[in-house]
Amino acid sequence: MAKIKIKALLKKGNVSVKVLSKSPMAGKEEAELKKIKVEFITHMTAKVNDVIVWEASTGPFLSKNPYMQFVFNAEKAGVKKGDKIEVDWIDSNSNTAKKSQKIK
Amino acid sequence: MLRRKFLSLGAVAAVATLLPSNVNATDFRAEKPATWEANNSHEAIKALFGDISPIEGKIKMKAPKMAEDGGAVPIGIKSKIQVSVVALFQDANPRSAVAVFELNESGVFDIKTKIKMKKSANITVVAKGRDGKFYSHTQRVDVNPGGCGG
Repeated sequence: MAKIKIKALLKKGNVSVKVLSKSPMAGKEEAELKKIKVEFITHMTAKVNDVIVWEASTGPFLSKNPYMQFVFNAEKAGVKKGDKIEVDWIDSNSNTAKKSQKIK
Repeated sequence: MLRRKFLSLGAVAAVATLLPSNVNATDFRAEKPATWEANNSHEAIKALFGDISPIEGKIKMKAPKMAEDGGAVPIGIKSKIQVSVVALFQDANPRSAVAVFELNESGVFDIKTKIKMKKSANITVVAKGRDGKFYSHTQRVDVNPGGCGG
């Protein structure tokens, strides 16, 4: 699985974005229990046309392979169908992932 | 005591003036480390937003009454309020803060995500409106004890 999967849909003037990321989201207690290393996404950003429309500072209590859904107004963001949305994140071990997807 | 109170007020004021100029690209983990260490929602909210008295009843939360799998409890939060910051907390895990979302001017307050819950507990969402007011909502979510949590 790619590290990030994105679905972005423009409907009735709003763009709804679904993002699925691959990460165990293990905090220190969970890592100890499962004997794995601490690894969770700490910050995630979504950009359209180089403007950040949404971002999240996250901790290890999101589910494993965290799912995010958010909405923004296409007109206010100056976005049309076919524009690209770009999502990137960084995790607790400074690993990064990046993916861009056309808005349908 | 008075001095302490005064100092904390100063800190809140500083944050309030800082945020607008810095709407994008705020790493709340770096800026507010205490938030992520707090082990209950009350303290985490205080660490993030300061002493606030949020308005209840404007935010809708969609969560299962009885979650089957504590490892991924779907939570949906939405409202018609224009917001800049949305923070999600719960009292089921060792530390309370789950995520802090930031929306730009085009953002619509309609967020869905999945969280881990070790046991049944309250989930609290606190949002900072573009009108400068704070809004919150608390809802209890029961987790099936048979399910395996995170």
